[in-house]
Amino acid sequence: MMSEVKLTENESLKLITEMIGKAKGSYHSNGTSAILWGLVIFFCSIFEFFEMQFNFDIGFNIWWLMFVALVPQFYLMLKSSSKKNFESYEEKTMNFVWWAFAASVVMMMFFNSYYRPSHSESLFLMLFGMPTFITGGMFRFKPMIIGGITCWILFVVSIYTSLKINLLLMALAALSAWLVPGIILRKKCIREAQQ
Amino acid sequence: MEFQELDPILHSQLRLAVVSLLISVREAEFTFLKEKTNATAGNLSVQINKLKDAGYLDVTKQFNNNYPQTICKITKKGIEAFEDYVKALQTYMNPNGQ
Repeated sequence: MMSEVKLTENESLKLITEMIGKAKGSYHSNGTSAILWGLVIFFCSIFEFFEMQFNFDIGFNIWWLMFVALVPQFYLMLKSSSKKNFESYEEKTMNFVWWAFAASVVMMMFFNSYYRPSHSESLFLMLFGMPTFITGGMFRFKPMIIGGITCWILFVVSIYTSLKINLLLMALAALSAWLVPGIILRKKCIREAQQ
Repeated sequence: MEFQELDPILHSQLRLAVVSLLISVREAEFTFLKEKTNATAGNLSVQINKLKDAGYLDVTKQFNNNYPQTICKITKKGIEAFEDYVKALQTYMNPNGQ
């Protein structure tokens, strides 16, 4: 237990290092948001692929499901903020990165529904890679770094493939960028809670 | 190279621990500091007040869902004091300035 003890210089330095390490190691994502968005994008991509493959139409754009997914996302955010007793600089930065990403996705969706440009899915793939790569790099979380790079590789591939194939590439991007890293984070979180 | 005097406000185990934690996060609740330092609530409260009186911390008391909440944040003066403290420590660790 700490008290008002005077320290030697070595002890001071050791204490500073220990506390900075403790503070840095305090922020953990439980992966729930990554799993949610990974599942939504995976489902929408595969669903649209089936619509094209088997020639049927449900009467509305399945991608509007992304707006429905905002409801559980806000719930998760409220739940985690009520439990949290600190805010790190990294977390604040990440929130800005992901909100900027969300705003860009919404703007792209409106742009696409208005102009209907060809190969717009490629641009989504490029966009998916950016916040994923930044998050992975910032938290030194390899699965997300790999996920981000995978999105960019799929972006290049998608330039040369048809819309139908690009939908499968988007599903693959959702798997590699969010679903798989999210499941890894979730498992890690459960393991740590059990210890 | 001369030894620089260590800031007496920071040169205490619990106060240094609190400032080291707060230098790494944007802001933290009292409960976070208590959990990381393993200090008693009474002692931690006294040390936080000393840091606040020195102008090193901003302390905000508020209610969240009917629960009292104390949020601590390091000030610009606190950051400068911490940086000077680390520089002063270096003069002890490395007196030849190498």
